[in-house]
Amino acid sequence: MSEVPDNLSYTKEHEWVNLQDDGSAKVGITDHAQDALSDVVFVELPDIGSEFSKGDSMAVAESVKAASDIYAPVSGKIVSVNTKLEESPELINESPYDFGWMVVIEPTEKLENLLDSDSYREIID
Amino acid sequence: MMSLRQTPLFNHHKESGAKIVDFAGWEMPIQYTSILSEHKSVRENVGIFDVSHMGQIFVQGKDTVDFLSYVTTWDMKRQKKGDCRYCHILNKDGTIIDDTIVYTLSDSDYMLVPNASRVDKIYDWLLSNKSGFDVSLENRSNDYFCLALQGPEAPRLLGQHLNTTVGSFQLVIFGETIVSGTGYTGEKGCEIIGPLSEVIDHWEALVEMGAVPIGLGARDTLRLEKGYLLSGQDFDGSQTTVETGYSWVIDWDHDFIGKTSLLEIKKRNYSKLKGILIEDRGIIRPGNSVFYQGEKVSSLTSGTLSPSIRKGIGMAYLDLDIGEPVTVEVRGNHLNGHVVRMPFL
Repeated sequence: MSEVPDNLSYTKEHEWVNLQDDGSAKVGITDHAQDALSDVVFVELPDIGSEFSKGDSMAVAESVKAASDIYAPVSGKIVSVNTKLEESPELINESPYDFGWMVVIEPTEKLENLLDSDSYREIID
Repeated sequence: MMSLRQTPLFNHHKESGAKIVDFAGWEMPIQYTSILSEHKSVRENVGIFDVSHMGQIFVQGKDTVDFLSYVTTWDMKRQKKGDCRYCHILNKDGTIIDDTIVYTLSDSDYMLVPNASRVDKIYDWLLSNKSGFDVSLENRSNDYFCLALQGPEAPRLLGQHLNTTVGSFQLVIFGETIVSGTGYTGEKGCEIIGPLSEVIDHWEALVEMGAVPIGLGARDTLRLEKGYLLSGQDFDGSQTTVETGYSWVIDWDHDFIGKTSLLEIKKRNYSKLKGILIEDRGIIRPGNSVFYQGEKVSSLTSGTLSPSIRKGIGMAYLDLDIGEPVTVEVRGNHLNGHVVRMPFL
């Protein structure tokens, strides 16, 4: 069974979103997604300051077998990226909700249409 | 829609948590735990592969040696009973239909092991070229299993399991069970072929002894590090043996289908399958474009991250010398690399 923490929001594309106190949104991929992808061996992260519209591909996580796009769950500007993933992409497998976070976005719109943990569990069951 | 086929080990694969994919019409395990850890198990310890989707075509009769010498790139007169040999089966224009291992079971009993996706094609091709030869052919691909036991510890497990040893490209035959010193990983080991009903006993015994189940994902990274060809991908029906760089599978001193065309091609300038090693971070994939001095010159037939050297490795047909710098385009970025001699490892 995949882990789905109750305190996070989710997208149908298997990303998690953690709204921070300052209004920014920390984003990563879910336990279910890292398991489906298997060994993550390379992560391509966006430049800090780059801007994305909701649904744009903003990063790529690659396993030995496949490349998987990571989509912006909200429109906004990248304010931080997890540079540790460049040397240690396996953090996504080992700690998808914590050390494996990918980017922090400063949203330019309200966060909408995200799933709560129960709704996300229904998708992956 | 055609239904997918399964080997008798399908439930074993499912129960051990394997991810299953469609491969050449078969439901096969792509990985059990992780490609990286399975790859490491084969390089450092021992892995077991269910490759029962591979074919078994038997050839018998007094002209078997002459017939197989005519339809393959190798002169079977040079084989002795108990030998096996990797060679190519070519169209008249020299293009590769498939690569196969030919087993000399006795002076007039031979077996071919073609790739799963090419079994019917090869069988039809052999039938259509047998006129004038006193041979009988039998496609028994549905009656036999094939397991590959690979890795530095494979000889020890083979000894424990069947109380035997087997040399490289040699055979040991027990009744209907054939053990060959072959594989697709570049490690020590063997392949065991036998009656389908016995596969579960072999699998369970070898896994019990410590052989780690390996899926097709690691099979691909293991073979690519060694520069082995993948049928249907590194040659897809339009390349010849000389272009793949596998001319060592040709015995030029005998007549075989495709020879005249190969001799013509050798006179010309032609691209050859070469290795590409990437220095930049990033993973290259089959189909990615290869550039030389800013011009697109080829596409990758194979590409992956090498689990052993942790760099991108690939193959492409190139008219470039070893050491030349190239770039491979991945999502609009150009990754720097060089043309290298294979194997990569």
